Amino acid sequence: MRYHLRHTTRYEYSGSVTLSHNEARILPRSLPWQLCDNTSLVISPQPERLRERTDFFGNRVVYFSIESLHESLQVDVNSDIQTLPRPMPSQDFFSSIAWEDAVREMRQDTIQSNRDSLDARLYVLDSPFIHAHRNLADLAIASFGSGRSLIDAVFELNQRIYQEFTYDSESTTIATPLREVLANRRGVCQDFAHLAIGCLRSLGLAARYVSGYMETMPPEGQQKLVGADATHAWVAVFIPGWGWLEIDPTNGCLPDERYVILGWGRDFADVTPLKGVMTGGGEHTLTVAVDVMPIHDEPVGGLLVNV
Amino acid sequence: MQPSGKMDPAVKALLGEYPGHSAYDEIFNEERQPRAHWQTLLEDFAQLGPDMLSSRFEEAQNLLHENGVTFNPYEDDPGQLRSWQLDTMPWVISTEQWQDLEAGLKQRSRLLEHLLDDLYGERRTIHEGLLPPELVFTHPGFLFAAADAPSQLERPLLIFHGTDVIRDQYGRWQVLADWTQSPSGAGYALENRITLARALPSIYRDAPIKRLAGFLQAQHRCLASLANTQREQPNIVLLSPGPGSAGYFEHAWLANYMNFALVEGDDLVVRDGQVAMRTLGGLMQVDVIVRQINDPWCDPLELRADSLLGVPGLLQAARNGEVRIANALGAGVLEHPALSAFLPRLCRHFLGEDLILPCRETLWCGDAGSIDTINRSMDDWLLRDIARPGKVLRPDQMGLDALTDLRADLIRRPHMFTAQRLLDSAVTAGFNPQSKALERQHTTLRFFSLVEPDDLKKPVSERNFRIMPGGLAWVGEPGAPLLQSRTVKDVWVLAPVPQPHISLLRQAQGPIVVTRDGKDLPCRVAESLFWMGRYGERLDTRSRLLREALARLLQEDRHESGSNVLPDLLTALDISLDANETDREPVPPLGYGRFNRDYLATRDRLLQLFADDQPDGLPVLFGHFVRNSRAVRDHLGDDTWRAINSMRQRFNTISRTRGMVAGQRHLEAMMIDLSAFFGLCNETMPHHYGWRFLDIGRFIERALGSLELLKLALLTASQPGIPLWEVVLSTTDNLTVYRRRYRSQLHPSAILDLLLFDETNPRSIGYMLKRLGRQIEKLLSPGSSPYRNLETRLVIQATSTLHLVDIDKLTDLERSAEARKALTELLDGLIGPMAELSNAISHSHFSHVETPRQLVTVQYNLT
Repeated sequence: MRYHLRHTTRYEYSGSVTLSHNEARILPRSLPWQLCDNTSLVISPQPERLRERTDFFGNRVVYFSIESLHESLQVDVNSDIQTLPRPMPSQDFFSSIAWEDAVREMRQDTIQSNRDSLDARLYVLDSPFIHAHRNLADLAIASFGSGRSLIDAVFELNQRIYQEFTYDSESTTIATPLREVLANRRGVCQDFAHLAIGCLRSLGLAARYVSGYMETMPPEGQQKLVGADATHAWVAVFIPGWGWLEIDPTNGCLPDERYVILGWGRDFADVTPLKGVMTGGGEHTLTVAVDVMPIHDEPVGGLLVNV
Repeated sequence: MQPSGKMDPAVKALLGEYPGHSAYDEIFNEERQPRAHWQTLLEDFAQLGPDMLSSRFEEAQNLLHENGVTFNPYEDDPGQLRSWQLDTMPWVISTEQWQDLEAGLKQRSRLLEHLLDDLYGERRTIHEGLLPPELVFTHPGFLFAAADAPSQLERPLLIFHGTDVIRDQYGRWQVLADWTQSPSGAGYALENRITLARALPSIYRDAPIKRLAGFLQAQHRCLASLANTQREQPNIVLLSPGPGSAGYFEHAWLANYMNFALVEGDDLVVRDGQVAMRTLGGLMQVDVIVRQINDPWCDPLELRADSLLGVPGLLQAARNGEVRIANALGAGVLEHPALSAFLPRLCRHFLGEDLILPCRETLWCGDAGSIDTINRSMDDWLLRDIARPGKVLRPDQMGLDALTDLRADLIRRPHMFTAQRLLDSAVTAGFNPQSKALERQHTTLRFFSLVEPDDLKKPVSERNFRIMPGGLAWVGEPGAPLLQSRTVKDVWVLAPVPQPHISLLRQAQGPIVVTRDGKDLPCRVAESLFWMGRYGERLDTRSRLLREALARLLQEDRHESGSNVLPDLLTALDISLDANETDREPVPPLGYGRFNRDYLATRDRLLQLFADDQPDGLPVLFGHFVRNSRAVRDHLGDDTWRAINSMRQRFNTISRTRGMVAGQRHLEAMMIDLSAFFGLCNETMPHHYGWRFLDIGRFIERALGSLELLKLALLTASQPGIPLWEVVLSTTDNLTVYRRRYRSQLHPSAILDLLLFDETNPRSIGYMLKRLGRQIEKLLSPGSSPYRNLETRLVIQATSTLHLVDIDKLTDLERSAEARKALTELLDGLIGPMAELSNAISHSHFSHVETPRQLVTVQYNLT
């Protein structure tokens, strides 16, 4: 699929900001199944300093500072993205791994372990937002019967979170603790991603947080509204001997070509799209608009400056 | 074990019961003979005799105390004051022992530098399975933000390194811990050396002790050449968490010794990618930061968002090489206690050598089998949970429930725990001033290493380290924290030949000359000096008023005089008696007879001003004064600091004041201390910006105090008249001057002349305004406006009000309402601009740093 991605973040402050240092993880990363072209980043007011680097997790990070008085901050990202079908191993391979084998692999003596498995072990550990807990393991274990194939169990957990929890955009702020999500049985994509990760890690499996977008469909017979899409979050599970398999517990499905990846980390804290420390500013209001517009065999329009 | 053979009786007396134990002994060998390197020293100490040693011991404590050496974060809090004792017996290492130890310490620093370079670079140790990821990535000192891909490291990361070592009961060295962020104690080691050299001059001079000055010089050279600048004088700052932190004394000490600016997070700002210090002259670029703040707290943008100590954007500035930080951010991961278990393997991997210095026996509980080993003899181990730094779990001292919890926790998250086998240490001798003989001590030692300044530009495999030939020893069980110890010892490393004597360590340092009291004075320092001036003067004014009040009350007590100035004095002190107390009974005409209710109430209320918790009391005022003084510790001379310390000691006892006469004595002594302090400031502080702010603060406060007092005495008093005027003169210490000059009874006009107009009298408003005007004129004016700034205008306004007043109108105050009105206008016309002046100064010279805020509020660790 081809998409034109547009992501606008705008902060309006009630007072003047005299100095702000910011970090944005808002540029999509290139992957074998995701090609990004003509990516542009426009920040207003013009930053005095702007530096891009690649972080520990391989994500693109932009540091920028604005050092003159400003009352608003706007960050616009545009990119042309082509997604390809994600690699999928054969069903035979999947069914050959019991979930306990995967746990054992994560606990093997490091000297005997292979590089991929060693890399994945970071994602078994607690992270800023996600701490392993017995309640999380209890939730998960219903799907993880003794000797069950890892994939089947993961798919079922993915489905159960989708069915047993209610999507409720009013119910949560950024910092919802997992125990509240567990107790209230409701949340947003970020909470469900954290929840799934917490469940898997509590069993000893490696799981990471993926941040990105997905193309949404307008209601039957209606035009798609501009800015109607949103940032999204889902999960990838480590399958020993194969790699990372994505699941989306918010929608109970497996991410496909409609999903665009920004980056990944241990949890939301590692991939916060835009964070900053500023002096002054008072209260602020935030507006976010995201469009994932499908492009159907049209030539790519406009010349955009690469960052 | 007792020493055998023939022994000098003096030595025998000194030894007392020593050694009397069966462990390895630092002083005596297995044949109970003094070890070669102790032979002469032991005789030298014995020669001094027990009484002399005792008095030298006291001398050393006094020196330490006067310099305010302390690790105590709450030292301003009277009653909490605790200082170290410095033992007069040093910890002595022979030349041969040092050679081995030094080689081991150097190797350890090299090894840790290699490991750090790898952990923030390729991470081959992890990819190849040499180090478990669970060990590294769970440590709060591993900063993901500092571990970029691809690696950008070509500069050294570990500049200083502190290593804690003991000698165990069998005489083997064992490494207990590494300090790799900002190893503390080097300053104390130096202070101990200076102190001991002064307390034991002859022994110190004659013993072939390796000197420390060279190491400190190298440290300075190293930091200077770390700077990535073309400028001749790199700006090096020492970043401290501030006076509230345990190590603040040392931070100030080092900053002073090394001639670095002592800064806090608020003093620094990242602009245009560079780190700059807010100074009176504007922003000044910083090249090197010696940080004393732990890793996660250094940058609220990329690290802990809730940090108020750090500098937003610092990590990015460091990443771009715009500023160098010693030690590099992220170096704290090397403090992980479990690394000890992996170092022998890592040493062969990185250096191809065997580890020279053994670590104490350590198990990482994430390793298979570790927990079984620990469970077999749980009482032999202590455990550390890296989620709770500094916390030591002792199974041998735990109750059954706690032990059950611990075992469950170990199963649940084994990778978070490190087990260290309990140790016994060797014994050394300390001097006990009570018994005047030696006593047994268990000690831990800290040594310091520094990357060779000439190796800074070399690749990691070629970087070498040098070890400070000395260190810090403290008394306590093996591994007991330095902070909890009560006694420290100097560590003497013996050289084969006598060392060139360097008489004054402080002068031996060849400092790079940076004028720090000029424009580059941090705004925060200027502000603290200003408030020090104000609080110091306020303390003085209040003490004088209180002294007068106590004196009057005592007089009332002896012979009930006709005039009563006490109510007005209470007004001047801004205190009132509890209304209920006075209303209950009609006030007897002469009010204050002994044991009369009012007399007692007044006495109690006045004595309350000595109490620690009294909001308007002297200790609280002094607290403000000291807090500001601590924040400018590195700008005050040693003698000035001694004056502050003397006041601090006084305030430790002042709160227990019960009697009025004792109170008077305290107040008088304190006024002398305060004058000593301000006098020393005038004598020793360079008469530059810093001193000017102190002076301005002081004279604004004095002018306001005098004006209020005049207004009270001449206009608003309930019982005006000669007794009250006398109080005014004695409060301002002008009674003698008045008598000599006017040789007459007190008269308001003469008082006004003396206290308002006479510019030769330092207690007159005229003099104060002149002085303020002169000081303010010399301050840097921000911006380059051709017009006078507000501060100058306010001083001019007050001065003209004073100069233009028609003095004739002010005569006959007692009878003429017009004269009273004119005086009211005059005094108010002076008080107004003086009060505003303080704000104006503050507004144009001190940085009002708003606390930076997060764009997105994220709360961690809620789950």
